[in-house]
Amino acid sequence: MEDLVCPLAVLPTAGGDGEGGGSGSECVSMAALDLRAELDSLLLQLLGDLEELEGKRAGWLSLAKARYAMGTKSVGPLQYASHMEPQVCLQASEAQEGLQKFKVVRSGVHAPEDVGPREGALRRRKGPTKTPVPQSSDAPRDPLNWFGILVPHSLRQAQASFRDGLQLAADIASLQNRIDWGRSQLQGLQEKLKQLEPGAA
Amino acid sequence: MAGRGKLIAVIGDEDTVTGFLLGGIGELNKNRHPNFLVVEKDTTINEIEDTFRSLGSVSGSVAEANPSQHDPPLWDEIDSWQFLNRDDIGIILINQYIAEMVRHALDAHQQSIPAVLEIPSKEHPYDAAKDSILRRARGMFTAEDLR
Repeated sequence: MEDLVCPLAVLPTAGGDGEGGGSGSECVSMAALDLRAELDSLLLQLLGDLEELEGKRAGWLSLAKARYAMGTKSVGPLQYASHMEPQVCLQASEAQEGLQKFKVVRSGVHAPEDVGPREGALRRRKGPTKTPVPQSSDAPRDPLNWFGILVPHSLRQAQASFRDGLQLAADIASLQNRIDWGRSQLQGLQEKLKQLEPGAA
Repeated sequence: MAGRGKLIAVIGDEDTVTGFLLGGIGELNKNRHPNFLVVEKDTTINEIEDTFRSLGSVSGSVAEANPSQHDPPLWDEIDSWQFLNRDDIGIILINQYIAEMVRHALDAHQQSIPAVLEIPSKEHPYDAAKDSILRRARGMFTAEDLR
């Protein structure tokens, strides 16, 4: 959304006694026209955002079906780890004043199958035994491993679906913020328009 | 934490929370409060509301208070949940049927961060007519505004 410049910011100050009222009223009319054009543009942008948001939610609904793939009661809070590190975080950036945008960022995942000798399957045991050093212990553990080493394929699919859903969530949250931001901008412009054209209000 | 970015919090039923934790959003250790709440049939509305408004319990991520009585120690813990008051949470995901229980709290939330996202659950499909954001957007246009 391009920067919105309120035409009122460049309005010349009108004379107090009404002198030069002709040119003054022309300025006001032009400012009102510009303001209406800004309002129309913002309104169109908002309606487009709403439509896009509805479209994304329709895709979001399909994630609800993925939960059926998670199976029995063996997948639940009882299996949660006592220590969790987030693998997925958000980067929040401010595109414009008051307008926040989100982006999903994934950190490195440390899975058990990644641990092990980096050399080939056979190692020469000469000299001090080289103990395979696992990757950084700071790397978060894959939550899939809470439910066992060998997990059903459906659980992996569910994880992939929810990971996709997280990106979708970030996109929808960004859109919601933009809609809210646009709504407040629109209200502000409408108020200013009412001040410019009280007769039309 | 400062360089890591913001967290995604979730308030939902067991399947929803388990799914998103599987996706990798969970944070839980002895020093920090969890960023998730599993809402079960025994969870009271006050607990959900307190979690939404304020987040950060010391122990456990599952609230199963007996709805018929208030347990003082549990309330002390619940008081420390600070979702909205935490500055490290970017998005709060909440099942829409749970959002309906605390609609007034959601409607009162006007900040852009954390963003509140209502999501469907296994048993409750999403209804756009109930969504706080969409209702606010639809309500801002009147016939007079569009003249």
